[in-house]
Order: sequence, then C-alpha cells, then structure tokens
Amino acid sequence: MLNPFAFLSGKRLALPVFLLILVGAVSASEAPENTVTVKHALGKARISASPTRVVSLYQGATDTAVALGIEPVGAVESWTEKPFYRYIRPALTDVRVLGLETQPDLESIAWLDPDLIVAARNRHQAIYPLLRQIAPTVVIDDVYDFKTLLTLMAKATGKEQVGQCLLRHWQARTRDFRSRIQRKLGDAWPQEVAILSFRADHARIYYGGFARTVLDELGFSAPSAHRKDDWGIKLTSQESIPAMDAEAIFLFMQEDPAVKRTFREWTDHPLWQNLEAVGAGEVYPVNPVLWNMGAGILAANLMLDEVYQHYGLANTLPTADLAC
Amino acid sequence: MLNPRTTKALCLLLSLGLVGTTLVASLILGQIPVSFHDLYASLFAYSPGDLRHLVIWSERVPRTLIALVVGAGLAVSGVLMQSLTRNPLASPGILGINAGALFFVVVGASLFSLTAPSQLIWLAFIGAGVAASLVYFLGHEPGRGISPVRIVLAGVALTAMFVSFAQGLLILNQERFESLLFWIAGSVSGRSLDAVSPLLPVIGVGLFLSLLLSRQLNLLGLDDELTQGLGMNVGQIRLLTGLLVILLAGTSVAIAGLIGFVGLIVPHIARGVVGPDHRWLVPASALIGGALLMGSDTLARLLIPPREVPIGVVTALMGTPLFLHLARRSGSRL
Amino acid sequence: MSKALIFRGRQDGWSVRVHPQLMAVCLGLLLLLCLSVLTSLSLGSHPTRLPDVVRVLLGADSLEGIRLILLEIRLPRVLVAVLAGGALGVAGLILQGLVRNPLASPDVIGITSGASTAAVFTLWLTGSAGTTSLLVPAAIAGAFGVTVLLVALTWKGGVSPTRLVLIGIGLAAGLSAITTLLLVISPDATAMTAYIWLTGSLYASRWGDVIGLAPIFITGLFLACAVARHLDLQALGDDLALAAGSNLNANRLVQLLLAVLLAGSAVAYTGALSFIGLLAPHMARRLVRTGHTGLTLMSALLGGLILVWADLAGRFLFMPRDLPAGLFVAGVGAPFFVFLLYRLRRQG
Repeated sequence: MLNPFAFLSGKRLALPVFLLILVGAVSASEAPENTVTVKHALGKARISASPTRVVSLYQGATDTAVALGIEPVGAVESWTEKPFYRYIRPALTDVRVLGLETQPDLESIAWLDPDLIVAARNRHQAIYPLLRQIAPTVVIDDVYDFKTLLTLMAKATGKEQVGQCLLRHWQARTRDFRSRIQRKLGDAWPQEVAILSFRADHARIYYGGFARTVLDELGFSAPSAHRKDDWGIKLTSQESIPAMDAEAIFLFMQEDPAVKRTFREWTDHPLWQNLEAVGAGEVYPVNPVLWNMGAGILAANLMLDEVYQHYGLANTLPTADLAC
Repeated sequence: MLNPRTTKALCLLLSLGLVGTTLVASLILGQIPVSFHDLYASLFAYSPGDLRHLVIWSERVPRTLIALVVGAGLAVSGVLMQSLTRNPLASPGILGINAGALFFVVVGASLFSLTAPSQLIWLAFIGAGVAASLVYFLGHEPGRGISPVRIVLAGVALTAMFVSFAQGLLILNQERFESLLFWIAGSVSGRSLDAVSPLLPVIGVGLFLSLLLSRQLNLLGLDDELTQGLGMNVGQIRLLTGLLVILLAGTSVAIAGLIGFVGLIVPHIARGVVGPDHRWLVPASALIGGALLMGSDTLARLLIPPREVPIGVVTALMGTPLFLHLARRSGSRL
Repeated sequence: MSKALIFRGRQDGWSVRVHPQLMAVCLGLLLLLCLSVLTSLSLGSHPTRLPDVVRVLLGADSLEGIRLILLEIRLPRVLVAVLAGGALGVAGLILQGLVRNPLASPDVIGITSGASTAAVFTLWLTGSAGTTSLLVPAAIAGAFGVTVLLVALTWKGGVSPTRLVLIGIGLAAGLSAITTLLLVISPDATAMTAYIWLTGSLYASRWGDVIGLAPIFITGLFLACAVARHLDLQALGDDLALAAGSNLNANRLVQLLLAVLLAGSAVAYTGALSFIGLLAPHMARRLVRTGHTGLTLMSALLGGLILVWADLAGRFLFMPRDLPAGLFVAGVGAPFFVFLLYRLRRQG
C-alpha cells in the first residue's frame, strides 16, 4: 500500500499547489465568478455575464442594443416619432416606455429589475448614484461617439463578437465609400460640407455632433469657420446666411408648418441663392432622425445609405444585420 | 440766455438728429460691411445683383424701420402709463402687459397650434389688452383713483400668474418651447415686412392721437377734484389714455416680442431733457425711444457675431441700473 | 376669548404663552402632514399598499422590490418636499412681516431670481444637461449675492420696506434678462433642464439633499421662532416698535438674512419654486389669529403640505411623465396672488 503522504510530497506537490494558488488568486480578484468589470465615464461597473434585462436611458443606447440583438426591457421615449423612432420600432415590441430621456421614471426602472442600465453622463449624472443601487450602470461620456458606445455595450452585454463584427462592417463600408467618392469626384474630393438645421424661428449650423463625426470619418471636410469646439450656433438673422456656405450642404428639419415656413423664408432670400452650394445644386435634405437623433450604429449605417444615395454611388456591401 | 421754449425746440431737433444718426448706423453696421456709398447707391441707384444692396433692403431696412416704430410706440406708451398711474416706475414690462401677451401667445401656440407670425401677432395684442385691463382694475382704488404702489404690485402679481401658466404650457410641450424662446427674448429681426406692415401704421396712429391728447395728459397729474373743477371729464381722459396704452404697448409687443425697459427709461430721459409738459414730452419720447431701440438692435448685432444677443436683453442690461437708481430715489416718496 | 396657558420662567426671566386653539391646529396640521407623507409614499408608477409601506419604514428586511423604490426614491423626495416647503413658508412669513406687505415673498423680492441666475449660469458653464454638484452652492451664493446687493441699494440710513420691494422687483427683472440670454445661447438639452429647474422640481431628490437641507431648516425654524416677537412689534408700525425698544434696522437685517438662508437653500435643492412663500403664511393667518410664533409653526407645516401634494400631483397625474411640482404650486398660487390683490383693493 502506497503511503499517500509519501506520494504527495516534494515536487509532485509543487505544481498542483501552484495551480491552486493561481486559480485562487485569479478568482479572488474577479470574484464573484461570471462577472464582467467595465470601466465607464463615472467609474466601474460589475455586470453579471450575458445580462438579459437591459434598460436604455438614451437614444443611442437603444439603437446599439437592438444592433447587438438585444431587446431592452425598458427604454426612454424618442424626441419625435414617439414612442420610438420608426427605424428601430419593429425591434421594440415589448419594451416598457420610461418617459423622457431627461427625466426617466426611476420607479419603473427599479421595478423592471434590470441586469444592466446604460445611461449618458450629460443627462444622468445626477441620478447615477440611484441607478447604481438599482442595477450595474454603464455611463457614456460623449453621446455622439457611437463606436465607443458600441464597444462598451458589447463588452457589458457579453456580445463582444457581434460588436467587433459590426465595427469591422462599418469600417469596410467607410473604406468602400471613400474609394467610390474619390473616383467620382476626383480632384473635388475632399468636399467641404456644412450641416444645417431649420427650426420654427431660427436656423442652426452644427459644428459638432453625430452627423459631423460621421462625415468627418467618411473623409468630408468642413469650412474653417465651422471648426469650433461648440456644438454649433443658432442664427436668427438672415444676414448670417453667408456663414452657412460650403461646397455642399446637408440640411434637416421637422415636419412642422412653422419650420417649413422658416425654411421657405430663408431659402427664398437672395443671400441663400448666392451660396456656393446652392449655385452648384449640392443641397441635400436628409432625415433628422438618422442624422441627429438616433445616435447609434444602426442610425449611422442608415445615414451612410442616404449619403451614398445623394452622391449617386452604388451601395453594394451587405447590410449590418445580414453581415453580422 | 435762451428762452425755455427755444431750448426745448433745440432738444427736439437734437433728438431728431439722434434718430437720423442711429438710423444710418443701423443700416450700415452689421456682419456684412456696407459703406455710405453703398447706402446711397442702394437708395437711388438700386441694382438687384449687388449683394450689399440686397442686404440693405431685405435685412437692414425692415429691422431698422421696426425698431424705430416699436421704440417710439413703447416709449410713448411708457409716458402714458406713467402719467396715468402717477407712478414713475410704470412700463409695459412692469405692469404685466408683456406677460399677458406672452401667455396668450403660448396658449395659442401650444394648445391651438397657431404658429403663423400673423396669428401670433393677434394673440399678443389680445393678451396685452386683457392684461392691461386687469392691471388697471386691480390697481384702481375705488374712489381714490389709481394707487401707484398697488398698480406696480398688481403688475407683479399678473406677471407672476401669466408667466407661470405660460411656463407650465411650455414644459408640457417641450417642442414648442424652443421655437418660442426667441420671441420671448424679444427681436426686431426675422419679421417679414408683410406680416408687420398692417401694424406699423397702427402705432403711427396711436402716436398721432397721443400728440393730440397731450394737453389733457398734463392734467392727469392733478387731483381729480381740481380737474373736475376745471371742467374736464377726468374719466373720459383716463379711458382714452388707457385705450391708447393698450394700442401702443399691445401692438409693439405683438410685433417685436418682449422688450422691456424702453417704456421705462425713455420717458425719464425725455423728461430730464424737455420737462414734464406732455406737448414736448410725447414727441421727445417718441424720438428718443426710436433712437434707443435702433441703437440697441445695432449693438445686439455687433456683440457676438454671427449670433445676435436678443434685443430684450440689451435693453434690460441698459435699463436695470437706471431703474434701480430711480427706485432708490423715489421709493421713499411712494 | 380662548383661554391661554402661560408658562413662566423663574423670576419671570422668560414667559411663553400658548393658546390651546393654536396647539390643536398645529397638532392637526402635523397629523395631516404625516398622513400626506404616507399617502405620497404609497403612490407612484407602482402603487404600494400602505401596510407594506409601514413595514418597510419600520425596517422589515423583506419586500426587496419595493424597498429600493420606497427608501431610495420616494422617501428622500417626500422629505425634501416637507423641508423645502416648510423653509419657503417660513421665509415668506418673515418677509411679509419685514416688508409689512402681504404680497411679499422670496420671488417678488428677487431672492429666487438671484439663485436662478446663478444656477442657470452654472448649468451653462458646465455644459452638462444633468445637474452638477456645483449647482446647490451656486444657487445659495446667488441668493445671498442678490440680497447683499438688495440691501446695499436699499440702504439709505435704514431699510425702507417699500423701497426694498421696488428695488427687489428691479433686480429680479434685470436678472431675468440675464437668465433669458443664457437660455438662448445654451444647447437645447441644457436649456430644457434649466427651464425645468426654473419651474421647481423634486425629481431625483436624494438622501444627500435631505441631509443638506434638514439642519438648515431646523436651525432656521428655531431662529424664526426667536425673531417672531420682533415681527409682532414691527407690525404695529415703526414708531411704536421703536418706542417699545426695538432696534429696527438691526432686526430687519437679521430677518432678511434668515429669510434668505431658508429660501435660498430650499430653492437651491428644488429649483425656483415660487408662491409657497406667499400661500403658506396666508393660509396660516386664515386658520388662527395669533402672533408670529404660532404663524411660523403653521407656515412651516402648511408649506410642507403644499409641496408634498404638488409633488405628488406632478409625478402621479401625468404618468409616465414626471411634471415639475412648481407647475402645480403656481397653478394654484398665481391666481391666488391675483385674488389677494383684488381683495385688498376692496379693503381700500
């Protein structure tokens, strides 16, 4: 009969003990098991692996969740096309509406018993401590940076593969666009574009924001006057129309009689007719939901579709949902 | 030594000169530089292809004209209000007329979706009328005429009520909020001449009538018994003055939104220059008011280009120190 | 004439007069307040049964689901309503006694405007649509700043109540213009947040707010009861007060500072709530005719009641939207303000 203690002595013991210590150390730093630690704008969140009940507190997060194949249990309502934007409404059939993005209904969030909450710093910083008590919360710093949001949410929800696939797909599309537009416009590329919006009693130029970020990534340039740190400016006097000038203009507005009236007044003005973009016929009305409000990867893809369309380029790559 | 009459006439002429200067300045200054020569050419040798001529006629002329007329209207309504209420602190903003206009505009825009400029103008006008009547009713002490302190407090009360209701509606209707923000802040630009051209002559008529009434206005400052002893029908004069106030203030607010302090400061400046006789005071206020608002509008354009500071903010920033100075001086007398 | 109970200190160093009627009313109001608090705790987008509410409050470990909602979301909010409402009620009472005008309140005099401009300025500077930790100190600083300016401008050998009101109105108007400018140049999200703050809202009130507000309220209430006697004297008119030995200017300054402390801190946490400082003292006066000490207690209780119910209306009536409590207070308070004027007019 072998002496067990003799069997387990010396070198034979070393490796198992070492492995035990290693495993112990690793699990101690990662306890409890099956959790993911995600670093975000306001700290760290420890989320259980593959959360199923996700609450989205801003538009971009709703978009990204759907892109990752998750139907949120609760989401804040959209600004127009309520309760959810038409482009993602089909995917949101059984979602509880949580009120406005600026003041989500905290009780409903708590009652939903979520596994993960995704919020935005510039909207929800004040309620972050409360949210954290309800569920692990991930907070985005810049609401327009849809790629960081995608990466973050993919990690938090355990869908990293899908997230990476979506990002690769997006990169492929931007490369495709760049080569096509280079071929089409030749020396005229990169083209200088301005992003405008019309409201009921004023007009706006966007210096930053979602659309600007995407267009920059696609290779478009902006007039030097538009390269500022601000989000943009509101213009009340038609005398400022020359400030809007660029080689091409993308503009969007709501379906509202007051807005339409303002648009007509501004575009009938002689100063508008004098703009370079107007003279060249390069003024493109676009969908405000996709260009300004959706703020997620799905909206970005649909926005890119519109850009392809306006420049008359062939859009041959498969769509996101088919590719990933 | 010049006789007082001549002095006053001179002051009036100077005011006219001031109006002329600010008028030209308003037409010339702005984001797109325009020279005297351009101005002259656009008036007498207009060429539609010239950008600068375009800017002058499509942008500068409307807003200068509106600023001139609205400034005069607000100033004279201030004179009338101060004489009527015997309170040197009365003005459309303080007495709640602006707030009444705001409330009716917000109700129309949020509950009835009336957003066309011509509709907003009528709403503002009606609101101003309602507020003016209410404030008069509340500030009026039966048997003793209008109490100066009470009417200011009545104005504050009405302003509080109308503003809080308007705020409530704007919060319930967040989309409307940002479309009304600029109107609330006051503006003489962005108003097409078509929408406002029927109203500008109304102010003109109001100014003319006020001039006609100036002699009777001098008597408003006296006690009721004295005036009746002189054979004047006090009630009628008060009523006419009140109607003129509603006409002038209401139309001004309807056209240009909430611009405060013009109706407050200008009468005092004018009084300092030509004295309290309404026959000089009314024209002087009209001229100084027009010049002040044109100057404020020009300033509003030049401060943070290409954006514009809302004109109501410029007049408020100019007017608050003066108001405080006045309140300090007269507070003990009220 | 109801019989008063009088307690005297040894050698008549101090004496306190207590009316049974006043005590009864105060106890009744306190009871009403407690019931209102419990009602507010039971209602929300997920109604909770009252027995469950009481069980959780008493420390039961069960009912995990509602525990979080009750203890972290509803309870701090209701407590802030009680404290802020009470503070504003007392501040309004002091100002009305100070100015000897029943229409005075922190909003009319410009205190609220000072806090508002400072708060909107902070929101614009920090560029965030959510609130920041700077908001509360900024608002309090704004309220005090305006008061300093107010006193400096009103001081002419003394503080004349009428001049105080007029200058307050002027300051409020000027500050309002600055606030409008800030709203116009802010991005949409910030402007909307600022606007809701300007209306007064208790959304997302936290325990930190309760802990910040409670000591100020309690101290303020205590001090208010102490200065109440002076307010009684001042109500008799300057001459009589002086003859009775009151140091008018010093007293007025202390009262003003106390009102600013209470109103400024309440507004800093809840936003620019108006009209509570007007409504509560008037309701108190209609309930019991008594001196300012009793009125102070009643104003505090009534102010708390008003705000608790306004907040409940805001979060319960338009679900899932959470409307600012300030809307409902104004909806009742503003017409009341006008009605007051009308009644005063008839009194001549």
